[in-house]
Order: sequence, then structure tokens, then C-alpha cells
Amino acid sequence: MATFLTRRIIQMFVVLIASALVSFGLLYIAPGGPLSGLRQSQNSGRNKISNEDILRIKERFELDLYLPYRFSRWLIGFPSGPITIAGQSFFGNTMAGCAIPGQARLRYPDGHTEIIEDGCQKAVTFADLTGRRSSRGILFGDFGLSQVILRDRPIASLIASRLPYTLQLMGISSLIALLIGVPLGVYSAVRQYSRFDYTMTTISFVGSSIPTFVIGIICILIFAIAAKEAGLLYLPPGNAVANSDYVVPFIGNVVAESSLDRFLHFVMPCTVLVFVNIAGYSRFIRSGMLEVLRLDYVRTARAKGLQERTVVLKHALRNAMLPFITIMAGVLAELFGGAAITESIFNWPGLGRLLVDSIGRNDYSVAMALTMVSIFLLLIGYLITDILYSILDPRIRLS
Amino acid sequence: MTTPTARPASQGQLIWRRFRKHTVAMVCLGILIAIYVASMLAPWIAPYPRDAISLGNAYTTPFQHAADGSYHFFGTDHLGRDLFTRLIYAARVSLTTALIVVTISTLIGIVIGLVAGYFGGWIDNLVTRFIEFISTFPTFTLLLIASAIVIQSSEAIPIPGFVSFTIGAIMAISEREANQVVLIITIFIILGWTGVARFVRGMVLSIREQQYVESSRALGASHLYNMFIHVLPNALPPIIIAYTLGLSGTLVAESGLSFLGFGIQDPTPSWGNMLSFANSYMFSYPWMPLVPALPILVCSLAINYIGDGLRDALDPRVQTEIRRAQRDAQLAAIRERSKPQS
Repeated sequence: MATFLTRRIIQMFVVLIASALVSFGLLYIAPGGPLSGLRQSQNSGRNKISNEDILRIKERFELDLYLPYRFSRWLIGFPSGPITIAGQSFFGNTMAGCAIPGQARLRYPDGHTEIIEDGCQKAVTFADLTGRRSSRGILFGDFGLSQVILRDRPIASLIASRLPYTLQLMGISSLIALLIGVPLGVYSAVRQYSRFDYTMTTISFVGSSIPTFVIGIICILIFAIAAKEAGLLYLPPGNAVANSDYVVPFIGNVVAESSLDRFLHFVMPCTVLVFVNIAGYSRFIRSGMLEVLRLDYVRTARAKGLQERTVVLKHALRNAMLPFITIMAGVLAELFGGAAITESIFNWPGLGRLLVDSIGRNDYSVAMALTMVSIFLLLIGYLITDILYSILDPRIRLS
Repeated sequence: MTTPTARPASQGQLIWRRFRKHTVAMVCLGILIAIYVASMLAPWIAPYPRDAISLGNAYTTPFQHAADGSYHFFGTDHLGRDLFTRLIYAARVSLTTALIVVTISTLIGIVIGLVAGYFGGWIDNLVTRFIEFISTFPTFTLLLIASAIVIQSSEAIPIPGFVSFTIGAIMAISEREANQVVLIITIFIILGWTGVARFVRGMVLSIREQQYVESSRALGASHLYNMFIHVLPNALPPIIIAYTLGLSGTLVAESGLSFLGFGIQDPTPSWGNMLSFANSYMFSYPWMPLVPALPILVCSLAINYIGDGLRDALDPRVQTEIRRAQRDAQLAAIRERSKPQS
């Protein structure tokens, strides 16, 4: 077990670093960034941007550093200045980047000239890095600053402001889906080919083939728009809290930001996620149960004269639940990652929508932070499920 | 009088015979083929040109005459473009995209999975590690980021002219539009082949241990012959099921991506981006999102039902393997869903 754990943790670390590299590579090739908008707006008359301004912005977002240094500063916050060993500083003059590229004039034999970038006119050295604000590195939990969405605000606080909403939505919906989906799956497996099983299989089949965004939109059409027009009890379609008080038939006046208001906003996105998850969970449990119920030891248990209830719940379900644990690996990441599409449809201020927003508005540092967090959680999730699996199923040995 | 021939029905005929008994699946197959054929005949069926903008006719309700008296079957969008016309053209784009993506990624997956599973050893090790590595990424997030980047810099990425020409011709879109679609397709393929490869490898691992493979080897058959004549056909039924599931998965993923604004971009019509526009006008015109939502719903249901029919129709001999495959597919689907994409 100990060797397995150490090996897995080393493996996880390698995967994490590799995915950080991939993420950062994507960040690097991404168009846009802090300079692109400025260069367009500087043509518009008065607020002309001087070369010093560009240098300052480049410095602030570290665009003047060489790629490996940017990567290591983003990842582990190193180097943040000359390396000091026993009071002596080294590498003070080592170049870490180039603020102004040098220019060379090329003269062609046919007379025309061309100016190309060559060498470096103004270098950035390790010593120059000393005064700069630098993050402690994403591996140590410092995600750096947002560039667009909340300019210059730490990403950590951006995430912290969205996290409660995502935790609430994903936590409650997963819990309800589990509590409903598992019994449904068990029941339709025990009553295979009954009318109940047939209906359930059809519903969950349809449920798992309809995309979430279609379900979400249809929900809004029915329960928000149509219900409101018909003067029935309707649900507010977007956001997590209302801006001002509103009146809902049968309930009366709803005070903005009251718990009733929050609840009304919560119902629809939660229901959509519950429906989708129930469809998946119950199908999975059903097929697992069908497989197990056919096995000899279940027949033995019945032959011993045990109650059907005991056979199904104690003998069969326990084993049918085993593969189900692997699914739970994703749930951890899901809890903290949110549901991008559902949150976008219902304008839910969670992390999933933050991801979509940050990508849409070229705020790649936020997107990278969110990706890294979800990769990390996914890895942890896989590790936990592997360990759980070996504890619950003695046939499996971790080695 | 003809004498009854003694030739037994081929495997394909048997499967087809069983598949025909599955009424729902047959109906779904019919619907799907009808939609696709209609989309291929789009220039002749569509009542209006694809991008004909007439702002005076904007937001015409379905089955109503527009302001200038023209009739629009499914109404018009915010620019007064005929939605029925765009729906047909979008079918061409969306369905073809899904078809190309799944076909190519399945082929790549088959070859890599076959080689890895058949030869084992370091090749297998390398492939499995790589697939494991890829599968730790949150796929949908990566898809979002990659396509956002690619869409914005689509001018800068060189695409072989004949590729965008062919895609453009199939989808009835201009070459410039085709460039974007090609990029989206490429991203889907890059992220999509691993699932098939992993699953084919698993199948091949058990098949290559069978005695008929061994005896064929003993008779002097080459590895290549063995792989494609003995191993692959026996692994085929679950691959076909995975193919249909992949088809609906890709269709939904593409619509989702376009819905969020990172997939196929307007004016190229796709059901996803039509839905995305309709979504922003849904409070004033509640009928609008229903128009593109309907075909997405119908197609993804139809493909899933066809997959269901195929599952029943394929050789009962491999029933257990299919069940396992089905469960794996479900597991993968649920796992995929657990990642932040729902």
C-alpha cells in the first residue's frame, strides 16, 4: 500500500507538471492578451500610448521575459531575483528576457532595405526581477492576477467569490441525484422487463441522450416564461439572487436576496442537473445489478432462505456499487468545477460560467488557474477511488 | 421453378434482419437518413438563400407571413434570415462534422488500439500511458480553450487548400468558412480517438489469446493478415456500437460548443450557434429556441435508438462482450459528464 501510494503520488505529480506545461503552452499561443486591445485603442486620438506605457504593461504581465522563465515563475514563483547564497548573489547579470528587441537593417543587393529584429537592445536581467511583484507560483496556491474580467484582482479572490455558488449547486444536485438514482436503478433491475422498468429505462434513455442545454432551455420556456404568462407560479430563470423584489403568484412578494428568493432561483438549474444525473446513475446501477443478480452467490443467498430484501440490498447491491465508485472520481472535480453549460444557461454565478467567461474574454490566466484546479481535483479523485476500491473489494490488490 | 439456394445468409444479412425487427430503430434510421438527404439537397429544397438578410422581416413567427408578405415556415431570426433554410444548411454542417469526426477518430483509434493490443510490449505500454495521460485532462475544458484559441487565430493556421475545398463542397459553405470548421473537426479528432483506442485495445487483448489466432499464426499467416482478418472482425460489433454512441456524443458536444460561442461561428449555420442566438431572444420570442432545439433533440435521440437497435441486432455470441462494452461506454459517458461540461 505504501509503495503504491508513493508511486501514485509521484505519478500524479508528473502528470500535474505535464498538464501545467500543456496549459501554459496553450496560454502562450493564445491570441489577445493585455496588449492587443491597447494597440487598437491607441489610434483613437488623445490617449495615445507611449512606448514607456507599453514597456510598463509588458513588465506587469511579464511579457518581456523569456518563455521558460515565465513558465517557472508562473508555476513555482522562481526566479524572483538574483539567487542569493550565503549573502552573495549570483546570476545578477544573467538575461531573463528582453524588454526592447534590437533592430538590424538588412540591405539587399537590389537596393531595398528591411528592418529585422536582431539581438536585444534593452535586456531584463535577474537583478531587474527583484522589485517586481511576483506570484508564489500556482503549485503553491497563488494563481496570480486576472487580466480582463476583474483587472489586477487576484484570481484566488475571484474563485472564492464564485465557489460557494458552485458548491451549493453541484453538491445538492449530486446528492439528490444519488439518493433518487440508485434506488430507481436497483428497483428496475429487480423488476426487470416490468412496466416500471420499461418506463424508467425509456425515461433515462431519453434523459441521457438529450443535451443539457436543450433541457435547460425547455425548462426556462415552460417554468419561467410560459408559467409567468399564464399567471401561474413561475421560477426566476437567471442568476442566483434577484436585484429587486418581485411578486410570484401563490407565494406573494419575494424579497430580493431572501432565502426564498435564493431557493426559487436554485430550483431550476438544480432540477436540470438532477434529471441528467439520475438518468446516468440509474442506468449504470441497473446494468450493474442485472449482472450481479445472475451470479451464483445471489442464488445461494436466496437458497439459504434469506429475505429478498436482504439478498438485494446486502448481497447484490454492495457488489453492484463497486464499479459505481469509479464514477465518483469525477464528482470531486465536478463539485469544485461546476457545470459550464448549465451554469451558462441559467446565468448561475459559479465556476463553470467563470471558465466560459474567462475563455470568451481572453482572460487566459483565469482559465488556466481553473483548468489546473480541476485537473488537480480529478487526480485526487482518481487516487481516492482507487484506494476506496481496494478497501471495498478485497480481490483487488494495489501494487 | 427456382431451387432454394443452400447458401447461408452472411453475417451482415443476419444483423440487418435482426435490426429490421427493432421498429423504433428503423424509424429513427429513416428519419436520420431523410434529414441528411434533405440537407444534401439544401440548395433545391431551401426556399430562400442561406444568408439572405432582410431586417424588415426579422422575428417573424413560424407559420406566419412576414412584414413584406413572404412566408416563412419556421419564422425568421434577428436578421430576418429564414430559419427553415438555415436549419437545413445547418443539418449539413452539424451532421457532416459529427460524421467526419467520429469516422476519422474511430479509424485512428482502431489502428492504434489494434497495434497496441496485438503486439503488447513497449508499444502497448507507451500507448496506454499516453491515453491515461490524455484522459486526466478535463476534455470539455480543453475543447473550449483549444477552439477559442483556434477560432480567433484561424487566419494564421495554414490548412491544405484541398481539405477546406472538399469540406466546403460537402457542407455547401465557402472555403473561408470551411477553414474554421476544419479546425474544429481537427480538435475533436485529436481529443476523440483515445476513447476508441483504449476500448479496441481491451477487446484485442482478449481476442489475440483465442486459439484460432494462434493456429493461424502457426500456419504462417503474417501479423498484418492476422490483425485485419482474424482479430478486427471479431472486435467489430462493439466498435460499431461505440461508433453510433460517439456520433450522438459529438453532435451534442459540437452543438454545446457552438452554443457557448466557441464552435462553428455565424454566418456558417450550425444547430448549436442558431440555438445560441435564439437563446438571447427567448424572452421576447419564446418560440425561437424551439426551432433549432428540435433537430438536435430528434437527431441525438434517433442516433441513440439506432445504437440500441444495433446492440440487439449484433451477434448474440458476443452478447457478453457487448454488455461489457455498453457498460464501459456508459461509464465513460458518465465520467465524461462528471467533468465540468453538463
